[in-house]
Amino acid sequence: MNDAILSARGLVKSYGNSPALRGVTFEVAAGEIVAVTGPSGCGKSTLLHCLSGILRPDAGEVVYREQRVDLMPESARARLRRSELGVLFQFGQLVAELTAAENVSLPLLLAGTGRRAARTAALTWLDRLGVAELAEQRPGEMSGGQQQRVALARALVTEPRVLFADEPTGALDTLAGEQVMAHLVRLARAHRTAVVLVTHEPRIAGYADREVIMRDGELADVALAAAR
Amino acid sequence: MRPGTAVRLALAGTRTDTLRVGLTGVSAAMASVAMLSAATVLAIRIPQPYQPSGANLSPQYQSDLLQQPGLRPGVASALILLCIPVLALAVQCSRLGAPARDRRLAAFRLAGATPAQTLAVVTVEAGLATLLGTLAGLAIFLGGRQLLDRRNAAGELWLPTDVLPPAWAIAAICAALPAIASLLAALLLRRVRVTPFGVVRQVRRTAPPRTWPAIVLVIGVAAALGLVPLAIRFQAVPTWVIVMMLIVVPVGMAVGVIAGTGSISYVAGAALRRWGRAPSTLLAGGRLMADPWNGSRVLAALLAAVLIGGISIGFRSQLTAQFDVDREAGELWRNAIGDPMILDAERNAFYTDAMDLVDLAIAVGITIAAAALLVAAAESLVSRRRAYAALVATGVPRGVIGRSIVWQLLAPALPAVLVAATSGWLITRSIGHEVTSGGISGTVCLADTAPACADPANLREVDIAPITRLIPVPLEGLLFLTAGATLAVLTMIALSMLFLRSSTSVEELRTT
Ligand SMILES: Nc1ncnc2c1ncn2[C@@H]1O[C@H](COP(=O)(O)OP(=O)(O)O)[C@@H](O)[C@H]1O
Ligand SMILES: [Mg+2]
Repeated sequence: MNDAILSARGLVKSYGNSPALRGVTFEVAAGEIVAVTGPSGCGKSTLLHCLSGILRPDAGEVVYREQRVDLMPESARARLRRSELGVLFQFGQLVAELTAAENVSLPLLLAGTGRRAARTAALTWLDRLGVAELAEQRPGEMSGGQQQRVALARALVTEPRVLFADEPTGALDTLAGEQVMAHLVRLARAHRTAVVLVTHEPRIAGYADREVIMRDGELADVALAAAR
Repeated sequence: MRPGTAVRLALAGTRTDTLRVGLTGVSAAMASVAMLSAATVLAIRIPQPYQPSGANLSPQYQSDLLQQPGLRPGVASALILLCIPVLALAVQCSRLGAPARDRRLAAFRLAGATPAQTLAVVTVEAGLATLLGTLAGLAIFLGGRQLLDRRNAAGELWLPTDVLPPAWAIAAICAALPAIASLLAALLLRRVRVTPFGVVRQVRRTAPPRTWPAIVLVIGVAAALGLVPLAIRFQAVPTWVIVMMLIVVPVGMAVGVIAGTGSISYVAGAALRRWGRAPSTLLAGGRLMADPWNGSRVLAALLAAVLIGGISIGFRSQLTAQFDVDREAGELWRNAIGDPMILDAERNAFYTDAMDLVDLAIAVGITIAAAALLVAAAESLVSRRRAYAALVATGVPRGVIGRSIVWQLLAPALPAVLVAATSGWLITRSIGHEVTSGGISGTVCLADTAPACADPANLREVDIAPITRLIPVPLEGLLFLTAGATLAVLTMIALSMLFLRSSTSVEELRTT
């Protein structure tokens, strides 16, 4: 595929002496939703962190729109993450003392958007995720599913080209998880956002266009996965 | 539960728990050294035979503060007062990593422990840490006695290293500190209900502080400036009432300043949140408004120390003003009769020396109180590390989070320190705002003996009016005090940034 927006080749990453990635090659096309599945501890999160520039791989390369992410200094990677990439974690990523609207407007303020414009955008995104009425609530006053939808709004408010989601439904019950995924897929499609979705639940992986399976720090046979 | 099990469970913690236990021990060591020193000063015996009218000095010491029996209780009280910031430090330390510990306690409950048993684990932790710290303090005290056993050229001792407090006093101090710590730990735990299902923590929306702290402060100022001077002037008011006022007014003002910091925090938070343009001000404002009392708790000891510092500066300005008019009166006297009045230079030096010592104690107090601030700043970072690590992962620079901590602590601290220093100074204004020298008008005899005074040649007519002067506002001193306290705060914030990287590392995001 040469329309890949993000690609990685031969990624290796170890924690001390224990290897977490042993040469992973991976790519995602613009607007594509890819699920990365596999048992716990196989290296999914590590892969996601390397792809999004949170971690620097020991070897291999990560290319985002012709830029070598793995070679960038931390400040440049941070800038990339807050402008063109979005990140969503399992839970606990909202600032407890700020309201939903403030949490969502944070990335925009950081980008230099004025307060009022940031707030308007935040309210728009909260509305798109069906949580507009929670704008003035703080995370502690919301259910897990609501918090996750606010977190999704925060990840999407900068209109990233790639969204990285690490077990985004891992802390939710089935119904809340389905709701978050439905919103995520709908909005990604509408804005042509590529999604790298890490999950160990086959049902959640079912939302993706394509699924890759990891085992022990390596991608299992991709052709096999595609044939399923 | 057997004691061994309680100890094992108490010690089964994370790095943060170790840090908390360690810092608790350090505070205990400091407190025990201060209290043992106080006991030592009190143990200095009055030389025999006792002179009912005499000074009963202990001539073996260099310092007047130790020589004079009347001054020693003051020295001891100052040392015991130093325990207040130490206590504040200890309380701040006990909050370090408390959420994680509470979760651990919930796990104990789930494993079948009774509420009494979780309580036992907590009290054992605090008691044991304090006991070890106290014993370390005792060792430091005993070692220090040997090391500091020095004499000056005149053979006088610098410190009372020739006396030891009675054994029962040492034992009481070593037993009391761990007991108090255990009790405090048990009391603090009452605020969270540990159930097998986890720690019950309702969403806290602390009510914004009402205006009462400001009212208390205004009443205090009014009392200091109006009521106390009036009472002093009005002869019928018994002395004990005035003494009570001089105690109640400062304590009330301290309460007002400390509680008022809650209001200041809230208002500062609201302002930052409303008008701040940077994400760091938004983060700081959110935290300040969510728990405005945090500012009071964290800054309480510092503010108390600054308030006392303000009192000390006020007194010093009063003393220097008094010395100045006395000196001027002396000049007049000399011009009038050509004989220098015996200026009580030694007395003046004694007072300024004593003031220097008080200032040293205040500086130590401010430093210890600022250490509590460091713990609070670190705790602020560590307890929110998951959310902050997520922010950093989404591309928020660490500097934004660092600056938010600076805002969060400095926004309430700066105005509060100013108010505290000013309040302290105002208290001293209650005793007087002007100084007067002695004056004399009439006939003065220049000779030493009574017969010689019969000779008119030895007599001189003098008319020296008393000099009255307003005490100048000690602007410089107050500025120095607030700048020093602010510098201490800034240093501690800078040190807390050492925790920034580790509390925002990716590892905090790991869930599986
Ligand atoms: N910070 C770390 N330190 C040490 N080992 C780690 C660290 N992070 C991950 N690992 C190890 O690397 C492997 C892959 O972890 P991870 O990427 O989190 O897997 P997954 O997300 O698939 O569960 C696991 O064996 C894990 O224990
Ligand atoms: Mg994972």
